[in-house]
Amino acid sequence: MAERLEPNPNRASAENSELVMQSLEVDQLSAARAQHYPRRQLKRSEAFLFWGLRIYLLFMVGVVVYQVWTTTR
Amino acid sequence: MAKPLVPEQDAVRPAPPLARVPGPEITHEDIDRARDRKRVSLARVKKGSFANLRLLWLLIGPGILVMLGENDGPSMLSYAATGARYGIGFFIPFIILTFAMALVVQEMTVRLGAVTHRGHAELIFDRFGPFWGRFSMIDLMIGNFLTLITEFIAIRAGLGFFGVPPWIAVLGTLAVLCVALTTHRYWTWERITLAAAMFNLIFVPVALLAHPRWDLIGHAVVSWKPFPGGPKQDALLILLADIGATVTPWMLFFQQSATADKGLTTRDIKFGRIDTALGALLASTAAVATVVATAPLFTHHMSAANFEAAQFAQALQPFIGHAGAALFALGIFEAGMVACITISISSAYAFGEVARRPHSLNLPMSQGKAFYSVLLLEAAAASGLVLIPGLPLVFVVLVVNVIAVLAMPPALIFLYMLVNDREIMGDQASSRWANALAAIVVLVLVGAGILYGISVVSPNLFALIGGK
Repeated sequence: MAERLEPNPNRASAENSELVMQSLEVDQLSAARAQHYPRRQLKRSEAFLFWGLRIYLLFMVGVVVYQVWTTTR
Repeated sequence: MAKPLVPEQDAVRPAPPLARVPGPEITHEDIDRARDRKRVSLARVKKGSFANLRLLWLLIGPGILVMLGENDGPSMLSYAATGARYGIGFFIPFIILTFAMALVVQEMTVRLGAVTHRGHAELIFDRFGPFWGRFSMIDLMIGNFLTLITEFIAIRAGLGFFGVPPWIAVLGTLAVLCVALTTHRYWTWERITLAAAMFNLIFVPVALLAHPRWDLIGHAVVSWKPFPGGPKQDALLILLADIGATVTPWMLFFQQSATADKGLTTRDIKFGRIDTALGALLASTAAVATVVATAPLFTHHMSAANFEAAQFAQALQPFIGHAGAALFALGIFEAGMVACITISISSAYAFGEVARRPHSLNLPMSQGKAFYSVLLLEAAAASGLVLIPGLPLVFVVLVVNVIAVLAMPPALIFLYMLVNDREIMGDQASSRWANALAAIVVLVLVGAGILYGISVVSPNLFALIGGK
């Protein structure tokens, strides 16, 4: 089947527009990326988990800094 | 399916529109993606085995690339060290199990990418706030940069076996990276990289040249024996290294972003799973082949504790011949090169998603300057560092491991929470059984990562945990 699939992407045309609107879901469009998901409301347990992660990260950053310092000394 | 998209002030700046026609603005990126999706639609309406194979061919890519990409230079050396140290036994089925765990984790990224059409970093930023979004991006980029250094070291070592000067090895790899990008087309880039990634299976003929005992391999797969002898601490360390060689943070970011960039939708999730399973199968085959290939070093009691890529190839030469050794060295080069391509692109995706810049391999250079700059600059800087004489390799590897440990728990927890987020996933959120499986895998991986981190930063404490 010799269906035309290769319109020139550099050409502004109704043909390209039709191809895009037929083939992509609306939120796949570049323009749709201007919209974002809203921030999630964390439950108490999730907020607790996130604080745990922050403490873990602080600890690990300290470990990395210590390791770099002792190795380069 | 609920998809509460809301506009934001710091929204991504879309690339300039091309088509001034009524309706949403259409960009070059949209047109390229639409061309790929049109092919999928045409293949989908046809019936028969050939049509299904054609559909599979069109939809595979991110899963195979992520799995073979993770079979990178350091990972292949980790598998080689496993074979040389413990031979054929427990570690053969264990490596297969680690790829099964990777499959569970990566399947979640396929669903997230196909349902939301957003990358991992972007979803973390949106759903959990700018702090975690920026942290994920920065941590990923630092970890990826240091990993890239180790990939270029593998490239240099692999080609060094053939007497290729380091600067030619490094520049050649950068040239391949640039060539794959010059098409400015996701589809072409994916096919070029897939072709390169398939060379990871070069370790299979190397294993065959080692004349393995198939009965021993079969026995090991079924019985998980013989169990590694020697100090338990050493065995635990190599076990953790093999887990670390299979699941790493960049994989989550890469596959979700590539799934979105490829344009997969909820209808394609089944094929996304097949793609990922196929990738796990190919990558585990290459990993097991590497263990089998270096098993003669174990049989002949040769110490390979501090071997690097070229040294493995040289040590194997008496057992597998010069051709086998050359294939092994070529395999290490290939592993590093493919990982360079996939890892640098995962950084560029994450940067674009968090910095709200256009981020797609379908972007022309003029519209994706930030995306391509991050990608090329990161790879170029890492390659430049490798050419510095006296680079403290051990130190770089140590920091890479610690950074990976730092990044893995948050990345896995975010992944688990996002894939269960019914507000964005709707009916594609994980089922109870999928959740139970994923929770076990996440806990094992987080625990293994932390243990590995302890082994790196505090060997004495690790000795207490691992036993003598």
